[in-house]
Amino acid sequence: MAWKHIIPTVTMRSWLLASVLLLSLTGCAKNYVVLLPDENGALGKVMVTSSQGQVLLDQKNQGAFIGGSRSDTFTLSEEKLQATFGAALAASPKKPVSYLLYFETGQAVLTEASQSEIPKIKEDISQRPGVDVAVIGHTDTKGTASANYALGLSRAKQVLALIRDAGVSTERLSVESHGEKNLLVATPDDTDEPRNRRVEVIVR
Amino acid sequence: MNFKPFFPAGALALCLATTAALADETVIGYIKTVQGDAMVVATGHSVKAVPGTPVKATDVLKTGKASSLGITLSDNTLLSIGPDTEFVVDEYLFNPSQDELKLGASLGKGSLNYVSGMIAKLKPSAVSVRTPTGTIGVRGTHFVALVVPD
Repeated sequence: MAWKHIIPTVTMRSWLLASVLLLSLTGCAKNYVVLLPDENGALGKVMVTSSQGQVLLDQKNQGAFIGGSRSDTFTLSEEKLQATFGAALAASPKKPVSYLLYFETGQAVLTEASQSEIPKIKEDISQRPGVDVAVIGHTDTKGTASANYALGLSRAKQVLALIRDAGVSTERLSVESHGEKNLLVATPDDTDEPRNRRVEVIVR
Repeated sequence: MNFKPFFPAGALALCLATTAALADETVIGYIKTVQGDAMVVATGHSVKAVPGTPVKATDVLKTGKASSLGITLSDNTLLSIGPDTEFVVDEYLFNPSQDELKLGASLGKGSLNYVSGMIAKLKPSAVSVRTPTGTIGVRGTHFVALVVPD
């Protein structure tokens, strides 16, 4: 049994006791889900569906058992959150960051401002364990769709050449072109738009 | 590898049976964080998880005692699991231009921390996490879940 490795402390005993009481109150339900705020403090919603019906969570640290006879919700204290989920929370990967680099019209030449962003991107790449990077080239709608696909790809490859010595393994690097099909700013066809001439670098 | 699951694999297999047909070779994300013993178990073989290990749909992520693991999917979803956990992403589609969006996962046992990515943002109804006693539907952002084995 796993328990024999644990030296019971007063806190742990009371936690165990509380768990036993909680279990006895809830029938067989012991699986649960708890809604947490995101990093900006915003709350989403979670819907729990089981043979017992549905429960909606929309409050901070609000939890519900999954299945079982209890359909009410509870609030998980920060202390219990850390005790039960501390390891999983601490293992959460660093949030991915998207960088946008802009180009001179009709060419695979970075603007000066964007060129100066490159060291920051490389620094970010070098600090993420197991980093994977997606480089996606885009164009404005000036010219034909097929020429713009090729231009988007050559822009992406241009950026790739600038960041590839930052320490990303080749198999975790992807390069693609969306040509003129994924505009940042909607324009009619054949429109010069600097904000659409870009390469997106997603560092995960 | 001699990595025998002590959790009844049949129960997990049952959860996954409906969707296993969708398994393919596409890499859906990479391991980013590892503490202690963590494995990526595919049909027929398993590898020790290290930062950078690729993960495909239907690969089972497993951790031992005092261990944890974190993975970032290609839609920027962040998933991390605590000790004694079995977790699998069994359905994954991220192709926004074709409106092909799906993230179906199963928590067989243990603890999960979920932070939503693009799929939940673009199509919240496409995200669900199954547990042995019910299903968690996600309408954005952040949750934790615990499954205690019988």
